[in-house]
Amino acid sequence: MALLEVRHLTKRWPTGRLALDDVSFEVKEGEILGLLGHNGAGKSTIMGITLGMVRPDLGEVRIGGRSVQKDRGGALQQIGAIYEAAVFYEYLSGWQNLRVLCSLSGWWDEAEVKRVVQMVNLNRAIAQKTATYSHGMRQRLALAQALLPQPKILLLDEPTDGLDPEGIREFRELILHLRKHQGMTIMLNSHLLAEIEQMCDRCVILKDGKKVFEGPVPSQEKTRRMFQLETSDIGLAREVLARSGATMDKHGVVEVPLNMEPHELVTALVQGRVQVSAWQPHRRTLEELYMGLSSKS
Amino acid sequence: MILFFQQWYGELLKLFARRRTYIGFGAFVALQILVFLLIKKFGLPTQRLIAGSGENVNYYLSALTLASFVMGVSVFLLGALFLSLVAGDIVAKEGEDGHMRLLLARPVSRFRLLLLKYLTCTGYAVFMIQFLAWTAFVLGLALYGWGGGFFALVPEVSVVAFYDWGPGLQRYALSSLYLGLSMTTISSIAFFLSCFRIKPAAATIGALTYILVDFIMRTSGFMDNYQHLLITKHMASWGRILAETIDWPLIWRGYAVVLAVNISLFTLGYAVFESRDLKS
Repeated sequence: MALLEVRHLTKRWPTGRLALDDVSFEVKEGEILGLLGHNGAGKSTIMGITLGMVRPDLGEVRIGGRSVQKDRGGALQQIGAIYEAAVFYEYLSGWQNLRVLCSLSGWWDEAEVKRVVQMVNLNRAIAQKTATYSHGMRQRLALAQALLPQPKILLLDEPTDGLDPEGIREFRELILHLRKHQGMTIMLNSHLLAEIEQMCDRCVILKDGKKVFEGPVPSQEKTRRMFQLETSDIGLAREVLARSGATMDKHGVVEVPLNMEPHELVTALVQGRVQVSAWQPHRRTLEELYMGLSSKS
Repeated sequence: MILFFQQWYGELLKLFARRRTYIGFGAFVALQILVFLLIKKFGLPTQRLIAGSGENVNYYLSALTLASFVMGVSVFLLGALFLSLVAGDIVAKEGEDGHMRLLLARPVSRFRLLLLKYLTCTGYAVFMIQFLAWTAFVLGLALYGWGGGFFALVPEVSVVAFYDWGPGLQRYALSSLYLGLSMTTISSIAFFLSCFRIKPAAATIGALTYILVDFIMRTSGFMDNYQHLLITKHMASWGRILAETIDWPLIWRGYAVVLAVNISLFTLGYAVFESRDLKS
């Protein structure tokens, strides 16, 4: 079931630049969806529209069946978010910041707040003023506020931006923990391919405000079987593969059709007098997919 | 209603957790002490008026008379500035710093959020004037002790009145409350400007400029036939509380205008804020 539906979003900034052009996709319950794209592709605009902070010219976002544009308060009851860089009140402690933010949700449960603070590993620093926090601690506090009070969906806008490698790893493990143990649905926005690849089930790729891809993250693909072929007879190999219903890209990556076994394809190549130097399983990376889409468009 | 107060608690927590809030109060007390010291050395400027009216100067030179004078001076010198600073910051600063994005990621409508902020800054105006009134009174007590008369002078509304201690204290308390209500208009102007995508300082300066220009136009005589169009005229209605016979209809008329202006400024501010896209 789709918990979050993005429907035909179109947004043009007052400067005339088209930020989003008829973008639609869904985030299913329990999945982690990555929004990927270059700077200015429209990722944060989608987040902003989802949170009701940016008004679309056309289209709407529905969360749990409720339209953000028509019933923002109701729709956002189910959401926790880190939108753009989380800026806290520096003169307040981490705990007071959580108090201020939770007061807007009309909710405060000290035991639950303590549990979440412990989960994000901030229990020692929570009484300190946030002015003393490192960037990593701020991001963990941002995650804590997003998790209060128990949202169904988490929206994360470039959550690891500016974190050191250890911080990125810690944050990633925390997110994966949330999905595994709490079944959290997550929409993650990033321009870091590795981050999307390691955390997401599916991704949506945006380019200049248009959706250019929606599907499983390549490393999560279970159905596609790809092999790297090395041969000096590229032309001949392409002919033989085409007869067998297989395709090969310009880098020699062959996709085996569903009705064939890989060894049958190798046999066909050998019988077709193609000199096969190497044939090894190939896992397509997100980078290949992303760069392929970029060069196409 | 409980939800509203829970949400308001968060706003008040932010305001009163700031060191700047207390520095401001400290600045007021310091100013009041300075004025008191000057009065002690050079005497109260209104002493001559009391004597000229044939009244007993020693009787009317009391904690109340002094407090009323000091309150007027400190509100005039610092009150407008400080209220504009707080209200000018309340939306614009949150937008500029990026706090607004954090706040609006919560299930709260923009209207509700602005209403909370508006009530905070206007409530703060009333609170601050009360603080000024009663610190001035306490300082007056320290200088002249309990008792004596109360000489009330508000030239803007041509009020000159003499009271004994008990009725004087009542009038002083009531007028300070109404002065607080008048000052909410300065907060409202700064709040309205703060709803635009501008620097907080611009909202503060804009509000101060408006009030100053309005005040100058009212006192310079240019606008004698159009005084009703100037907000400072209606804001000065608080002074009528100190008249021997309180002209309530005139006071209510003044406050009806103040209320209408405040509501209009809030509504316009909300309309501006509602139409904004909040994205860096």
